[in-house]
Amino acid sequence: MNDAEIGVRRWNSAAAPSIISDVTEALFILAIVVITALAFDFTNGFHDTANAMATSIATGALKPKQAVVLAATLNLAGAFLSIQVALTVSNKIISIQGSNGAPIPELMGVPILTIVFAGLVGGILWNLVTWLLGLPSSSSHALFGGLIGSAIAALGFGGVKWDGVVSSVIIPAVFSPVVAGLVAALGTFIVFKITARVATGPREKGFRWGQIGSASLVALAHGTNDAQKTMGVITLALIAYGSWTDVHSIPLWVKVSCALAIASGTYIGGWRVIRTLGKGLVEISSPQGMAAEFASAAVILSSSHLGMALSTTHVATGSILGSGVGRPGATVRWRVAGRMAIAWIITLPAAAVVGAVCWALAHAIGGAPGIGVVFVILVAAAGLMFRHSRKTKIDPNNVNDAWSGKLAPSASASETKIPVNV
Amino acid sequence: MGEIFLKAFESLWQVLVAGIILGAGLPALFALGIKALGSGRTLAADGASYTTPTTGAGRAGSTVLFGVCAAAVLFGIVVIVFGSQLFGK
Repeated sequence: MNDAEIGVRRWNSAAAPSIISDVTEALFILAIVVITALAFDFTNGFHDTANAMATSIATGALKPKQAVVLAATLNLAGAFLSIQVALTVSNKIISIQGSNGAPIPELMGVPILTIVFAGLVGGILWNLVTWLLGLPSSSSHALFGGLIGSAIAALGFGGVKWDGVVSSVIIPAVFSPVVAGLVAALGTFIVFKITARVATGPREKGFRWGQIGSASLVALAHGTNDAQKTMGVITLALIAYGSWTDVHSIPLWVKVSCALAIASGTYIGGWRVIRTLGKGLVEISSPQGMAAEFASAAVILSSSHLGMALSTTHVATGSILGSGVGRPGATVRWRVAGRMAIAWIITLPAAAVVGAVCWALAHAIGGAPGIGVVFVILVAAAGLMFRHSRKTKIDPNNVNDAWSGKLAPSASASETKIPVNV
Repeated sequence: MGEIFLKAFESLWQVLVAGIILGAGLPALFALGIKALGSGRTLAADGASYTTPTTGAGRAGSTVLFGVCAAAVLFGIVVIVFGSQLFGK
């Protein structure tokens, strides 16, 4: 028996009398945590399809279905390409792990599983709310927010590494869209300057190829960065449970299931977010789309190698906005940008509140029943939001309809529930 | 706290420089490639198309420029796969 198993048993012994039910209870909780983590990965996929593909869909460089197939394939490949172990993702912001990434001994077993679970639920619910509103918000921030909330609820304010939150979450969030926007604006401006006297037909067509190439790079980078986060979370849960001890590698089944979860999410396509990013924010042409995607790819790749993992969503949105600013006479809908900015600011605290409430609920009920109840609430809330989304359905057929000030195309304006004022 | 900000801004500054070189430079090269494809050709009256075919020089120039962009994308893939080994963490 290793330390982990002892930890699980010690923690459970107060609640459950027999060793057999201890083991089943911890296993049940682990299973729920893994399922929830994969569900988060799935929402991460469809929430972020837009980051790489919104511009290509909007300019017609790719048909909507082609775009999501390409993005899903590249996310799948990207997830397998990642060779780093991302146990450090949660370790930067909350104090549940030691310096090597392994869980703190006192929290081994159910305590850490409960914290991680509540954090994931916070992340998923916030991702679904913003998806319903068609707002591109950072999935990483949603996850961080959820974890911060559940850590505060479980361990108090000392459970959060506030320095890490400031340096690896808040500062990048504020400045990455600005940096990406500047780069994209400059790129767009130069591109239009250079091609001012090129025939418009061949120009639009030629840039579509550049757009597809640069967008593919963004999709691949997304698969690598974001699937890794969920892999890290599941591996952390496995270590906490005691069935995995190596902090330097990830079990193969975790890798495969995370890759499939993010890729299938990407394939489903978050059409609501795609529509806002591709049609709502800026009226985009293929030279702008190419400049935006190259800017995103350059900023994401250079930042991740300076140890500053920027949110793909913040970068992509900043780039698209920049491509509108950089083209003289382009339409930029600042009201839509303003709504996005508000969503970004409240993402972390909102997910934190949900994470904290979920932890408190799971803890109050206790053990497997507590986790089970919160899981049922999660499923019910997700189902409700999905049902609500059907009222203003956005799919490959209407994702590119003219922007009439609302997420829902004007054909179904009478049913519109979600006004995005222009 | 102040140190954190300083460190973050140092990284952001580097990202901005790298971003401008690659993120704005590559689109500029690509645009030059598109321009090369049209060099020496006559524009139609509406400006939407050309009335003469691509010139040999134009084709050669654009191939080189597009090739540089494609190589940069391939380099990007290398960075994604082997980044931590190439550059450290």
